[in-house]
Amino acid sequence: MRKLIYYELLKIATKPRSYIGFAVITAIVLLLETAMYIDGQTYIEFITQSLEESFDIEGKFLNGNLMCFIILQTLIIQMPLLVALVTGDTISGEAAQGTLRLLLTKPYTRAQILWAKITAGSIYLLLLLIWLGILALGLGLLIFGKGDLVVLKTEQVIILRENDILWRFMLSFVIAFISLQVVASLSLLLSCFTDNSIGPIIISMAIIILFTIIGTLDIPLFDHIKFFLFTTHMIVWRNLFDNPLDFNLIFTSVGILIGHIFVFNALAFYYFKRKDIQS
Amino acid sequence: MKRRIFFLLFMIPWALSAQNPKTLLNNAFKKFAKVQNYIADVHMDFDLPSVSMDAVTGQVFYKSPNKFRIKSKGIAFVPKQNPYFSLNELRDTNSYVAVLQGAEKIRNINCRIINVIPNNPTDMILGKFWIDAANNVILKSQITTASNGTIQLDNYFGTQKNFALPDKMVITVEMTKFKMPKALSAELNSKSSKTSSKKEKGTGKISMDFTNYKINTRLNEDVFK
Repeated sequence: MRKLIYYELLKIATKPRSYIGFAVITAIVLLLETAMYIDGQTYIEFITQSLEESFDIEGKFLNGNLMCFIILQTLIIQMPLLVALVTGDTISGEAAQGTLRLLLTKPYTRAQILWAKITAGSIYLLLLLIWLGILALGLGLLIFGKGDLVVLKTEQVIILRENDILWRFMLSFVIAFISLQVVASLSLLLSCFTDNSIGPIIISMAIIILFTIIGTLDIPLFDHIKFFLFTTHMIVWRNLFDNPLDFNLIFTSVGILIGHIFVFNALAFYYFKRKDIQS
Repeated sequence: MKRRIFFLLFMIPWALSAQNPKTLLNNAFKKFAKVQNYIADVHMDFDLPSVSMDAVTGQVFYKSPNKFRIKSKGIAFVPKQNPYFSLNELRDTNSYVAVLQGAEKIRNINCRIINVIPNNPTDMILGKFWIDAANNVILKSQITTASNGTIQLDNYFGTQKNFALPDKMVITVEMTKFKMPKALSAELNSKSSKTSSKKEKGTGKISMDFTNYKINTRLNEDVFK
């Protein structure tokens, strides 16, 4: 089984598209950090102008923790697309190349093969998040220094003290991993249905964009639907930066995300085991 | 009988002067004027609408007449005005009109309420002071300013009563409730508020506990930069 996972990882590593995610993350993070380093103070002043009407603000708003938070909330929209780019290709890509039939002649069950692909996809996802963490938090702290985190919401400002932040970031990366695993599972499921390499990637992206738009619109009709969309729960990591924490909401959302992973993977196993592989 | 008349003649002017609002204000100012500068540790608690912030500690620096700075160990919202700015307005007794409004008990202490109207208003348009005449300290003041609306200061005196420096000060300020467009906050799934887009006002409280006062000590000017 380890060998199978190793080969799946090797397949991911040899595909140039696997590096797009790392390149995009690097570009976005470096771009944001450079822009904020040069002009961040103006941005902060623009945001805090209503507060500065009433108070003088003492302390450093712009620091590594704020940078990491800004990067996380910027990338959370793009990251699923980067993940789908790799995981949406795992079955359908092999089917398109004609290597899937060959793979199934090996002395492994279909379930083992699918499991290895899921695990390899998860490892890829984990590496992507670790890279994001190193760049966003590590480099951010190195360039901008430490400090309290200012979380800006539409109608609230939350200021978290420096010694109360790291664990929140660590947990938010765990939740980001679970959220992106939903996308990985969805694209893998779609990948089982087709022999076209690009189809599952495009469909995954379309679903995420559609769900995100529904979640963004303030139309009463959509209020009943929003709860059932996984994209609604994917941004629950932000709630880790609330004070006080609403654990009920966080656990519910994480539970729903895990439920999605379970359902998507179960469907993928069910379909893949019965799939008529002709190429 | 002669002794009674003499006693009354002696007491009436003294009693009248004690009631004089300008004298009461001036006595409070004189007590505070003994402070040329000070450094103290401060613990700040915040109760501000639409702002969630834990307490923070820091140091407070003051230099007469109007230099004031709080340096905190984290992010803190501090009042725009030096909390002693209204006291400095009382420096010259000819620069304002003072009217005794009445008396009131604050925390079981008898206080005289005095309204102050500056002759040439700068930032303070109107001031209302609750003075503990027995100790010559201002227990409460309500200042209407041109720049920041009404500011209320509640002083709790203890260890540094002799210098009119409070152990605890609660500042109540008027503030605009924070609002930010969804696109900037990136709260994609949040519901928009149904209230009007007008700037909502609220009142916020900043509570400051002072300890380790070092009064009339050597103070480096650089701390105010």
